[in-house]
Formats: sequence, structure tokens, C-alpha cells
Amino acid sequence: MLNFILNNETVRTGEKPGMVLLEFIRDVKCLSGTKEACREGECGACTVLVGRRRADGSVAYRACASCLLPVGDVDGCHVVTVEGLAGNELTLVQRLIVEHSASQCGFCTPGIVLSLTGFCLGARKLAYEAALDALDGNICRCTGYAAIRNAARALCDKLAKVKAAPAGRLEGLVSACVVPGYFRDIPDRLAQLPGAPEAAGKDAVLVAGGTDLFVQKPEQLLESELSFLSRRDDLNYVKEDGEALRVGGAVTIEEFRLSEPVKKHFPSLEGDFLLHSSAILRNKATLTGNVVNASPIGDAAIILLALDARLVIAAPGGKKREVPLSRFFLGYKKTDLACGELVSEIIIPLLPEGARYNFEKVSNRTTLDIAAVNSAMLLTPGPDGSIADLRVSAGGVGPVPLLLEGMDAFKGRRPGEETAEAVSVIAAAGVRPIDDIRGSAEYKKLLLGQLVLAHFSGEAV
Amino acid sequence: MKNEDMLMHVRGVSRFVDDIPVPGCLHAVLFTSPVARGKILSLDAAKAAAAPGVAAVYTHKDVPGLNQVGHISKDQPLLAVDSVEYIGQPIALVVAESQRAARKALKLIEVDIEPLEAVFSPREAAAKGLIHGKRRERVTGDPAAAFARCKYIAQGSLYSGPQEHFYFETQRALAVPSEHDSIKVYASAQSPGAFHHHLAEVLGIPMHKVELDIRRLGGAFGGKESTAVWIVAPAMAAFLLKRPVKLFLSRNEDISTTGKRHAYEYDYRLGLDADGKILAYEIELYQHAGACADISPAVFGRSFLHVNGSYNIPNLRVGGVICKTNIPPNNAFRGFGVPQGTFSIEAALTHAAALMGVLPEELKRRNLLRDGDTLPYGVKMEQVNAVRCWDALDKQAGIGARRRAVAEYNRTHTSTKKGMAVQPVCFGISFAQTALNQASSLVNLYVDGSVSVSTGAVEMGQGVNAKIRIVAARTLGVPLERVRVDTTNTSRIPNASPTSASTGADLNGMATKYACERLRGRLVGFAAERFKTDSASVEIRDGEVLVSGKPAGLSWDQLAKAAQWARVDLSEHAFYATPSLHYDVETEMGRPFAYYSYGASLTEVLLDCVRGTYTIESADVIQDVGESLSPEIDLGQVQGAVVQAMGWATMEQLRYGSDGRMLTGASAYKIPDIKFVPKHFEVTLLKDSSNPYAICNSKAVGEPPFIHGIGAYMALADALRAYRKDDGPLPPLPLTPERVFMYLHGKEGK
Repeated sequence: MLNFILNNETVRTGEKPGMVLLEFIRDVKCLSGTKEACREGECGACTVLVGRRRADGSVAYRACASCLLPVGDVDGCHVVTVEGLAGNELTLVQRLIVEHSASQCGFCTPGIVLSLTGFCLGARKLAYEAALDALDGNICRCTGYAAIRNAARALCDKLAKVKAAPAGRLEGLVSACVVPGYFRDIPDRLAQLPGAPEAAGKDAVLVAGGTDLFVQKPEQLLESELSFLSRRDDLNYVKEDGEALRVGGAVTIEEFRLSEPVKKHFPSLEGDFLLHSSAILRNKATLTGNVVNASPIGDAAIILLALDARLVIAAPGGKKREVPLSRFFLGYKKTDLACGELVSEIIIPLLPEGARYNFEKVSNRTTLDIAAVNSAMLLTPGPDGSIADLRVSAGGVGPVPLLLEGMDAFKGRRPGEETAEAVSVIAAAGVRPIDDIRGSAEYKKLLLGQLVLAHFSGEAV
Repeated sequence: MKNEDMLMHVRGVSRFVDDIPVPGCLHAVLFTSPVARGKILSLDAAKAAAAPGVAAVYTHKDVPGLNQVGHISKDQPLLAVDSVEYIGQPIALVVAESQRAARKALKLIEVDIEPLEAVFSPREAAAKGLIHGKRRERVTGDPAAAFARCKYIAQGSLYSGPQEHFYFETQRALAVPSEHDSIKVYASAQSPGAFHHHLAEVLGIPMHKVELDIRRLGGAFGGKESTAVWIVAPAMAAFLLKRPVKLFLSRNEDISTTGKRHAYEYDYRLGLDADGKILAYEIELYQHAGACADISPAVFGRSFLHVNGSYNIPNLRVGGVICKTNIPPNNAFRGFGVPQGTFSIEAALTHAAALMGVLPEELKRRNLLRDGDTLPYGVKMEQVNAVRCWDALDKQAGIGARRRAVAEYNRTHTSTKKGMAVQPVCFGISFAQTALNQASSLVNLYVDGSVSVSTGAVEMGQGVNAKIRIVAARTLGVPLERVRVDTTNTSRIPNASPTSASTGADLNGMATKYACERLRGRLVGFAAERFKTDSASVEIRDGEVLVSGKPAGLSWDQLAKAAQWARVDLSEHAFYATPSLHYDVETEMGRPFAYYSYGASLTEVLLDCVRGTYTIESADVIQDVGESLSPEIDLGQVQGAVVQAMGWATMEQLRYGSDGRMLTGASAYKIPDIKFVPKHFEVTLLKDSSNPYAICNSKAVGEPPFIHGIGAYMALADALRAYRKDDGPLPPLPLTPERVFMYLHGKEGK
């Protein structure tokens, strides 16, 4: 049995853990405010909030795509749909959407309401730019977004006085009519829910974020026993040990991107991972999941390859081994991960003194899109400024995320325009992309060359 | 005045088809052709029919009436008989207890199709004579003689690509059978009248046994106007099984099997004199229609009528064909052929400007339509607002100063370039098919004073119900909250035209106004009698009866009750047909449009020449909406249309495999998101514009502003040419990052 709170109702259900939350909400609970419009996490119409208890007992709310979220994964959580927001009065977010005429056909609107509400509950700062980041997975085909932006701006203005960090913000948001009063009781009510279901058997399918798995094979997962990485509190950490960043296997892209160690040691990753996917997916997708799914174009893999990351792989018995990421990908969607093993940690060495890291991604749409080509570079200079080490990764140009070969030849060279040209030529010459929906082979080959030039130019547009 | 539906949308309580609870409802799923063209040798559905939860599997043999859903021509069977013409063509219908069970059963259907040669290129189809209908052509003036006088001639070929509607609510319908072989269908559909007719034909029952009810659509944009398959199919199953049945397409089914905005190919020749005046234009259109005619001939007609864009072209030869290829039949999409027609003249003029070494905006301004100009189909223009819009834009955005700033930026930057474009709009309003320009309205007043209005208009987010409500409240003299617009229902409003061509409010608003005027007249007459005065002294204002301007102590609600008791009819039906419209397809001359909507915009882009990526930095838009019934709604319509069109012009790209299969799914078809929209996006409704030809002096707004989006393409082309001088024809639309990159760095660019 699964136990969670749906809006203001405590739910105990025997549904299969692999049933996606969207189906549970609409078909089992007959709450029709949450809309289905793509079932691939591409549109945001089915956005709900998932509140999970923090260590301090408060609840952390995250907007998630309910079409890719198995109901088993919300055990012990507070799930909020649009029906759980308004009583007789509209909430502040709802009122502002109406005031700014930020809704036309209305099909995407509940999702936008939830994403903006999630922003109020969870954003570190209630600033306009962060509100746009929170809305980057909510597609609207009608309004042209101008009115939605105006509503978001007005929301930030109205909440300018709310300064508390997310964990201490609830009272302020209740009094500002962002969420209803019953939210106050949720932490206690969650604490009273029966404990988590028994651990899954050893043949259970391990689900990290599920945002890719539930696009690929939802019907198979519906019938499978599942084991959820989100329950592994022991794997939910980002820490630093003086030599490297250590990222637990359960850390989401969004947690990673905004974590203090990342901000301190890899400040550009905050922006780089904003391009990874939309907020409603980043809130669920994990860093390890994006590596393990072995997509030849995965942003995390490309970034981590350049950064010379290592994976800690845990066997079912608890025995651990360490594998450099550059040796993890064996072939198209094949990795050095045996049945039952899991990546429990990713180790990212801190940047050497003076090192230059850069990530480039070109996709049809800048945000929430899969790259045609992505590439990262880590250039470590020696004491005289010449290249001591050069790592360049490239995605979308081969069957696996590639760490380009032949870079050792540039050791000792000055990292100027001439070197950039030479690296660019070697990079493009060494890859064999294919024609597909992301672009022609010729385009990808040429594009990689240009992205390598961009690595060296340091010119960000 | 806002669209009050928003109060429900934000709470998630507005009801769409799939939100209607129906106990015992079955689910229907279509089995479709995996082959682009072929002969069906055998079809075996026995295993599927025996699968768990399956109620029935139907083929063409089970269709009770006419196996036909062709919109303009009877060329589209509901379920394929012995041949298939495109991948995704319906062959069988599986009905089961759940959609999951139906989908599982689909895999058990065995079909043997002998593949035949298929055609996917419109030009190839045209060369082989594979066209729908016949070639159309009109010659105005003497193009040949005029070309001889031209100093500059721009000649070339162009392409504009297809666009997926991506309405959020996919195609869907719910059918509930009732007594005496009647049926009620709830559908996400724009054409109540036409689909009502299709339903009755396929079920083999008279139309009075079919009730089609439409509350609202989760977006449509034309995609729910003409193709009845997804509404008729579940209705047939419900009719045969005597149980409620619903069908809804998954997103990827919707993308791969429904119609798109038509791709076009163009051959053009544009001639100008030494001063840049257009003397002659020749344009040949190849419309990529797909396997069935669907609504393509009407879309083509619109392109045909708009090839002059916003410009005066004295000598013109326009011709073209509707190409029959083996892809799903394309259909209506916001703009209905006008964006394509306009694109070609804009691209030709921009090409000519490069040849002449002048700025495109100079050429455009010089050739704008003015009062007294005659359009190629014989209409003498009056009240032309093209120049007014342009000048209002210049005042808002400062065209010359912006051009100087762009030039200066480009002079001082090498790895990034800016580009800009000014885009004028001239869009004819009315259905080009004269017969469709009719509407009716039923206004019911109840004894408690509440008013219910029914029209043929379909609410799809564009706010037509809100506008009709405003018209009714204004005309009756009652507060807005006394009026509710009811569902669009074929039992209340029969034979309704589609809600499209931007005419929803024009036609249905006018019919509503007529009905309300007559109803008010009766009530005023009753009140005059009661107060023993003449009708001219009685007014109804804000829900109060006034006699000689003073409150008479009788509220609207009391008036309704008293009138009903006195046996006064509180219901009124009225009809409206747009006057003075005519068009002769033989001579290609006439007056197809009641009036024109105008606009002008300035779009500016920043191009990253290293990566081939770009940002649309700003858009200033002037749109002429006459006297707006609701500025909030109209602003939203303009903003939405502009961004949707920017998507068409830039990132929205569909790819087909060599076998005709749609390769692009939801994860690859990218439409604008909140970060794509220009940071500076200012829309202004043209001030002091009026329009005697539409409801309350307003102008249609749904489609005309779509044209502004062409400016995003033109601005990008402008930036590309700042990087590399080029006076040839313009590249294909959309300008995706890949196309941009290859222009900059591909073989051609080197």
C-alpha cells in the first residue's frame, strides 16, 4: 500500500507503484484539473507539486511533471494539484494570472499556476528571473507569454517582502494567499503517515528521476517492481572534500545546480545545467540518471567527461568500485554497469589552479531541448601559461558521449587562436555523426568545430 | 473586459471533452496505415477482437452509412477500403474497456499491404499531374509588357515549411448514444455544422438525430476545422455498441497523423522601376496538400488572393496548383494560406532590395497600398490603414534610428550580427467562400432576468464568447453577469459555419446584436405600454428601466417576469449574412472580403555567427483592430499570433523519412517557450481606427497579426546578409539554427 497526502486528503492506495501520478489523479481520483497534453514532460500541462519532508520537518515543495512521475515515488509526500489550491478565494498566483489575462484556452493554465506556486514555495529568491526559470517547462501555445511574464513580474513584486528561506517561508505565503491554510498542518500529517513500504526485491527496476525511463517504457514499468532512489536519503548530498566534489546518486539536477559547493567551485554549472531540461524535469531528474541512461547527447555526461569525473559503483552487497567516466560508456546505450549495480556517487575533481572550463550546447530551442551537438572543455595551463592538459568532450557526434582523442598533442602549446583552430579541425575530423532529427551529419561535424572555437574564444553570447 | 473563462481555467474547473465523467465509457483507438501508398491485400482483426477487454474492432464494412469524411471533395474514406494513401490513414477502429487495452489490441491486427510508388515532393506531384482540382491562374494588367519596362528584376525560388498546430488538447470526442437511434457527441471541433453533417452521413441517420455539443477547445488554430475522422470514429462505435465511447489522440499520434499548415514552394519574378516602384510580379504557387483535398483548395484560394501582401501591384500573374502527395492531408492553420502568400512577396521584395542596394523597408514603404489602389481581383481600396500603421510603428519604434543602430553594431562586430525587418500586414476578412459568411444567434431571456445566448461560434481561447457576451449585455442594457453564453450546440444553432477565418465575433456577434435588438424592442414596447408612454421614451440601462431618462422603478429582472406573464415572447433568434460579398472563380474577380485588417511591426534579432544561434531581441507591433470590443483579449490575440508565427518562421520544423513517415515527435518538435519570446515585446492597438463593416466597429484579430512573425524570418535573413553579402533569393523558411549555421558555415557559405 502507498500512503501520501493528495491536496487535503490522506490517500491510502493499492495501485501499482508504476502507475504515473497523472493517471492516478485523473482516472482514479477523478480530479480533472491536471491536464494531459504530451505525456513526455515536454509541455508542463500536468505539473503538480510534490512536497517532501526535509530533515528539519518542514516540507520542500517541487513542481514536477506528473506524467513521468510514478505514484510509488510520492509515498510519504504531499501532492498538490490545482484542486488543492483555491478555496472560495483565488490564490495570489491565480488572481494575477486573471488580472493579466495570462490564460486563453486554459489547457496549460493549471500547470502554470502550479509552477508559479512551486516557485513561491521553493525558489531561493523570489526574483523575476528565477520565476522565468521556474516556468521554462510550461509551454503555452496561445498567449505568446507576454501576459504570463507580466503576471510573474507582478507576483515577485507582491512577494518582495517575503525574505525568508524556503524552509521558513510557509507562514508568509499562507498570509499572502499563495497557498491555503491547511498547508500548515501538512508537516505533522506527513510525519504521521505509515512508514515507507518495504524495500523492493533485488530484481526491482531502479528508478532515479524516472524522467527518461517513463518516456521510454511506461507500460513495462507499470507491470514492474520498482525501487526508488529518491528514498535513499543517504545518497542525497553534494559535498566537497578538498580534492573533489562528491555528489550522491540521488541528487537531482536542480539540487546539484543550485548547491553551495557547485556555486563555490563550478559557478558556471548553475547556468549550464539550466539548459539541461526544464524546471519540472530538473526537479526530478538526477545527475547520475542522466549519466547512466548513456544518451550520446546527455548534457551531464558531456560536462562530467571534460571535468574528468569518476563514478562510484555499488554492487548489491555494498561492495564499491570506482570507474573513470571516460571508461564507463561501452557502446550505444551500453555501460559498464552490471545488473543490480548502482552509481552511488559521482566524484568531480576540483578545478586545478587557472583551469578554464566551458560548456557549449546548440539545440533547436535554447531551453528544454536536446542538443544537436554539445561539448565541454577543460583546459589546464602549466606555470608558463601553455597547455598542461586539455580535455574536450562532444555529444551528438557518435554512439556514446565522447571524450575526444588526440588532445595530448596540444600539451605545451599556447592556448591561442592557432591552437583553437587546430583543436577544432582535429575534433571535427575525429567524429562520425549521423543524419537524424537533430540535424544532418555535416551540420553536426561543422558545428562541433565551431563549438571548439567557442571554447577557446571565451566569448559568451 | 476580460475573458471570464479564466476564472475557471486558473482553478482547473473549466471542462474539456476528456473532463466529462461518463460511467461505463469505452475507448476507441485507430489502427492506421504503416505504408504511404499501397493496396490492402488482407486485413485480419480476429486476434484483436478476441483480446482482453476489447468490445469490437470495426473496418469499413461496419460503417452504417457513408464511409466518407472528405471536407470539400468526397475523397477521404473514414476507414480505408482497399488502398491507403498515407502513413497514418485509418484502417480499423478498436474499441475496448480502456485505452490501454485498445492499444494492446492494436498490435494484434494483421494487415498485408502491397506498397506502391509514393510521391512526397509537391513539385514532383505537379509534374506528374497529381493535383487536387485544377490549376488556377489570374492575369491582371500586362505583366509581360511591364517586365520589359523594369529596371530591376528579382527572380528565384522559395520554400516555406509546414507547421504543427500543437493545440494543447489533442483531437478528441466523446459520443453518448440515446433513445431512438439518436446520439449526442461532445467534441473538440471548430465546425459544428460541417461535422454535424459528417456524423449523420457516416451513421446513416438524419441530422436531427445527431446533437453535437461543444463547450470549449483547448486550442485549435484551424486544426479542428475540417478533418472529422476523430469525431466521427468514436460516434460510429458508440452508435453500433450502444455505449458511450471516447477517442483521444496521444500527442505523437496527433503530430504524426493530423494535418499541418501547408508547406509551399514558390517561383517568383518581381520587376521594379528605377525608383523602386513595383511594376510587375509573377508568382507560381505549389501547395503541398497531401493525400486528400480536405480544406486545401480553400487555403490555396486565400494564398492566391494575398500574393500582393500589403502592396500595390499593377501587373500580376498568379498561378498555382494544389499538389497531391502521400502525406496526411494538410488543413487549416491560423492565417489560412495568407502567411504563405504574403511570405513570397516579402521575400521577393527583400531580394529586390539587395539587388538594388537599398533597404528593404524603403522599398516596402514606397509600395504600400493606399486609398484608390485596385487589388488584383478588382476591389478598389478605401480606408486603407497600411501607411497609418507604418507611421504609428515609426513613431513607436523609430525605424530609421533602429536601422542606423543595427548598421553601426554590424560595423563594429564580427562574430555577432544584428538584423531587423519591418513587416506590414494587410489581411482580408470574411470567408473567401462567400456562402460561409452567415451566422445565427438564439437569445433566451428567463423569468429571473438571466439571459442565455447560443451562437455557432466555438470558444477556443480566443475569447469569442466573452465578446458575444459584451455585445449582448451592451445591446440589451443589462450588466454583464446577467448574460451567459451557452455551449455551441447543433440542436440550438443548426448549420453553423466554422469558427475560423477570424470571423467568429464578426458574424456571431452581429447575429447576437440583431437578436438582442429585437428582444429589447419587444420589452421596451411592453414597458412603454405599461408606463403609458411611447417606446422612444423608454430605455433599458444597467439592468434598469428608464422612462424619459429617469428610473421607472422597474428592474430588468422584474421586467422579464412581468413580460412573460403578459405573454410576451422572451426568446429571439436572428440571422446575419455579411452583405455585398461575391467572387467568381471563373474570372477570379470579385469582392471576397468585407474589409481588411492592417498592421506593421519591427522585429530585431541578434545572430551568433560562431554557433549559428540567434535571439529575437525585440518586437514592436502595431495592429489595427478597429474599435476593440475588448483590448485585453485583442492584445492577447496579437501577442499569441506573433509568437506562434515566430515559431513557424524560426524553430518549428517537421522531418519526414524517405518513406513518408513523420520522424518528428513531441520531444523534437519545439515551439516557442517563455524564454524564446523577445525581451522587448510591445504591442499597440492602432488608435482612432473604426470599421463600419463589423460588429461595434471592431476588426477581426485572430489571424492578421500572425503575419508579423514573417518579420522574425526577415530580420534573421537581414542579419545573415550582414555576415555574408548575398543578393540571391532568400533561404528556406523556417530559419532553424541548423539552416542558419549551414548558411554561415556550410559549403555555400565558404
